[in-house]
Amino acid sequence: MRLTSLLTTLARRGRILLALGGLALLTGCNLDFWTMKGHQSTIAVDGPVAKSQLNVFLVTCWVTLVIFIIVGSVLAYATYKFRARSEADEQAVPPEQGHGNPLIELGLIGASVLALVIIAVPTLKSITYTADVPAEEKANAYEVNAYGYQWWFKFEYPAEQIAGSGQLVSANELVIPAGRPVHINLRGMDVIHSFWVPKLAGKVDMIPNRGNFLWLKADAPGYFWGQCAEYCGDSHAVMRFRVIALGPKDFNNWLNAQTAPAREVAKVASTDQPKAQFAAYRSDWKRNEAGWSPQFELNPLESWKAHQEPDAKHEDTALIAKGRALFQSKTCFSCHVVRGHMVGGSGAYPELTHVGARTTIAGGLLENNAEQLARWISHPDVVKPGNKMYVNGYLANNIKLTPDDVSALVAYLSSLK
Amino acid sequence: MEATAKSHFTGKEEHAPATPSFAFWRPTAKTGLMSWLTTVDHKKIGFLYGSFALFFFLVGGCEALLIRLQLIVPNNTLLTAPQYNTMFTMHGTTMIFLAVMPLGAAFFNFIMPLQIGARDVAFPRLNAFSLWTFVAGAIILNVGWFLPDGPPDASWVGYAPLTSKLYNPTHATDFWILGLQLLGVASIAAALNFIVTIINLRAPGMTMMRLPVFTWMTLITSFLIILSFPAITIALVEVMFDRQFGTNFFEVSNGGMPILWQHLFWIFGHPEVYILILPAMGIVSEILPTFARKPLFGYPIVVFSGASIGFLGFTVWSHHMFTTGMGTVATAAFSLATMTIAVPTGVKIFNWIGTLWGGHLKMRTPMMFALGFIWMFMIGGFSGVMHSAAPADAQQQDSYFVVAHFHYVLIGGSIFALLGGIHYWFPLMFGRRVSEFWGKLSFWVIFIGFNVTFFPMHFLGLNGMPRRTFTYDGNMGWNVGNMIATIGALILGTGIAIYFVVVIYTYLKGEKAGRDTWDARTLEWSVPTNPPPEYNFAVIPTVHARDAFWYEKHHQSEIEQEKAAHHQAEAAHGGIHMPFQSIYPLVASTGALIGAFGAIYHNLIVALIGGSLLFIGIYLWSLEGAEGYHIHPDEEGHDATPAPKH
Repeated sequence: MRLTSLLTTLARRGRILLALGGLALLTGCNLDFWTMKGHQSTIAVDGPVAKSQLNVFLVTCWVTLVIFIIVGSVLAYATYKFRARSEADEQAVPPEQGHGNPLIELGLIGASVLALVIIAVPTLKSITYTADVPAEEKANAYEVNAYGYQWWFKFEYPAEQIAGSGQLVSANELVIPAGRPVHINLRGMDVIHSFWVPKLAGKVDMIPNRGNFLWLKADAPGYFWGQCAEYCGDSHAVMRFRVIALGPKDFNNWLNAQTAPAREVAKVASTDQPKAQFAAYRSDWKRNEAGWSPQFELNPLESWKAHQEPDAKHEDTALIAKGRALFQSKTCFSCHVVRGHMVGGSGAYPELTHVGARTTIAGGLLENNAEQLARWISHPDVVKPGNKMYVNGYLANNIKLTPDDVSALVAYLSSLK
Repeated sequence: MEATAKSHFTGKEEHAPATPSFAFWRPTAKTGLMSWLTTVDHKKIGFLYGSFALFFFLVGGCEALLIRLQLIVPNNTLLTAPQYNTMFTMHGTTMIFLAVMPLGAAFFNFIMPLQIGARDVAFPRLNAFSLWTFVAGAIILNVGWFLPDGPPDASWVGYAPLTSKLYNPTHATDFWILGLQLLGVASIAAALNFIVTIINLRAPGMTMMRLPVFTWMTLITSFLIILSFPAITIALVEVMFDRQFGTNFFEVSNGGMPILWQHLFWIFGHPEVYILILPAMGIVSEILPTFARKPLFGYPIVVFSGASIGFLGFTVWSHHMFTTGMGTVATAAFSLATMTIAVPTGVKIFNWIGTLWGGHLKMRTPMMFALGFIWMFMIGGFSGVMHSAAPADAQQQDSYFVVAHFHYVLIGGSIFALLGGIHYWFPLMFGRRVSEFWGKLSFWVIFIGFNVTFFPMHFLGLNGMPRRTFTYDGNMGWNVGNMIATIGALILGTGIAIYFVVVIYTYLKGEKAGRDTWDARTLEWSVPTNPPPEYNFAVIPTVHARDAFWYEKHHQSEIEQEKAAHHQAEAAHGGIHMPFQSIYPLVASTGALIGAFGAIYHNLIVALIGGSLLFIGIYLWSLEGAEGYHIHPDEEGHDATPAPKH
């Protein structure tokens, strides 16, 4: 058959083409993929727990690679050496009908066991090390509680008590002291979630009715990406969070700011003009369109710091006041706590007292800026399929927001530094 | 060759057995729909298992392609979040329960009785019941596609409490629960049948240590099924009770423990992994000796390591739960137990290489798949060793690294071996053989597509991409890997398409294959015709050596005398006894299907109707009795006389 022979030739040449194509792919493409230095890399890590886990991985990797090369070479050699080379070869007298060699078997079993011991020793060491804060560092450890909800994270700081309203509570961005071990108590509040900041530590599940914990330490101040790692329903893929590690001074400043009640906007000087910004929100967002800006990526920690400072010069006090009234009249306050501004809300929903000082909204999904806030408030169902704010809030209470309402709410929420 | 065309298995045989003397109506159709619905022939049942499995393999493959297309670029909007979640749930459930397991069962049914020199399985009607109950389970699992509630979307592991009424109020999860329950019934019934068959129906001389390795793996797999499925049955009953009757097994607000589901699920789920891979190892252990033209290297050790893999499989379930906070002692224990599994698995690979060593390797298509299996399974095995180290697993668990790992063992392992097995036994099953060129072409396209799809996923996982995510942002360093993986998936899909077109073409018009196409070694190739006649063996063989058929071929005169003597003895006993067909297995399975719908919709009347039908089916099935008829083939396999009555 001509077609067959043509395809045979193609198949022979194709191998070379394919190899070349593969090489081009290897070298030509974005190196990020091969170097694995992404925001959630488990290879380029920044803490001792993740480092210990990485080292175990590298041991397993090298041991298995060596075995693979040895066994693979033997397999390749045997396939090449003993293949039938011609029709006559195939018809030849069958080879010796040997049934095996127990000594070879025993030797190979012994070698396998030895290879496993090489892996087992660091594994056991690392299991002990990563389990809990080492005894000598216990005194220095900082404790936080993390809770998983569909589809956001709540963080509590039991060490920071606020008179009259209990411990400090925050959402979706965990701020920790750099260089200190942090002991995080984990709990799932509805279904099972998993707390994973790959650069700092492997994941531990947040399970309802089960007190789990993990510990981690950031070697230096930094901004880290985390994500839920256990399938938890519709919006599992967009249940994200951040961990920000700060030096002692920054951390204390942050605690002071956070423990204060929600910020009251002062009257602006008449010379300062409010930004005419709210008219120009985009409204043509595609369903899963990314909600972050490249500028933010350049130096995430600096971006985070910039978020802490109120943009007092450009605040529109009237609009903010309107937003605050809407927050109440649209019943937002009945779920979300804004400590000091109004009484209401509960711990089962994201606390918004200092939401303006966070870099992200919607469970770590969108960058916290006016445009994304407007997008989120206008169409929470599109940004986060199935989310409770839409189903139990907007739908259940028939809440409708006009573009003006959205602008006012955005102004108010942004002012909550 | 006349007999080939008239083989019962192809549905073309003309003679009908005598009408039963019993009061019950027994179907006698040998052709047409009724013959398939009432068949008790292990070969027909195996063929049906295989056909359903391959159909669902294509369905699951399409779901996989949709998953990959959604992830081809960041922030894609091809599927909505619920659609995507449905896709990966159904992809996993379909591939495991409706494709790989039944494809294994197809080979167990078709090949295993032939390999041990039996004329059928021990309980032919129970075998039919397994098949139809499997079909009922498959219908229930997939019925959501056509109903407003939609198909299941709680992932194939269905972790509580996501499956509770609170978080999954529709019937989608009920379809999943009841579908899996029925599939479990089907699997357990089939497994018991295989165990009894292998223990009791071996031909004279077929000692346990002469069993072909594929039959050994059938036996071990069957034991795994009957020991592991009760665990998931219990778990599914619990979650069903939680949903339907308000019990509190996993209901947190009343003190339920979601972690209990994980333990029950994985004590089933890990042996399940070996249920998927051991048959594949058995197939490879048949293909390699045949094409290397020498016996399997270290047969006893291969068998023993298969058994130890099965045994150890029950001691490692919690390595799926390293991230659930089990504490250091449990984590360390399960970590070490998991590592020990690498030893028997490695032993198998050593022995396969030992089998090749010094052989005359005939590079036919089945051999290509078997060699591809060894390479890919090695890679999957090594990434498995990486997971066994609990600290490393804390980073890899639920990331794409795991996705890469289990696709290397399930596609590169199970599927490669099963596809190779189809090529290998195709001449035996259908009397035709697949063209070498097209077979090898499909192998290479599948092999390349598979690696392009799944190798980059190792990198994605190590770079922190979690699995089961319908979207990702473009700033995470995952774009290139996902793009390559999706291109690979399209290549893989093309390869599978070529494979199927070639197989179907061969089934209809392929080159006719003679008896013993590959110069094989085991008994299934000694049947008088390809495809095998209804009664398999004109004379039950006597087994003298491990590779029984090879021995026969090399001791022909001795075997011929022996066969003549046996033939006379058998004729003196009234010929070959064949079981009657029966409609009642189908009736019972239909009852189970209807009853399951009643349970899903909480409709007592429908449930009672279904339950009654199930009961009636089983009752009449036992009343009608295990009657049969006799046929009298001559020594070449031609049927000499239409059979008189029992």
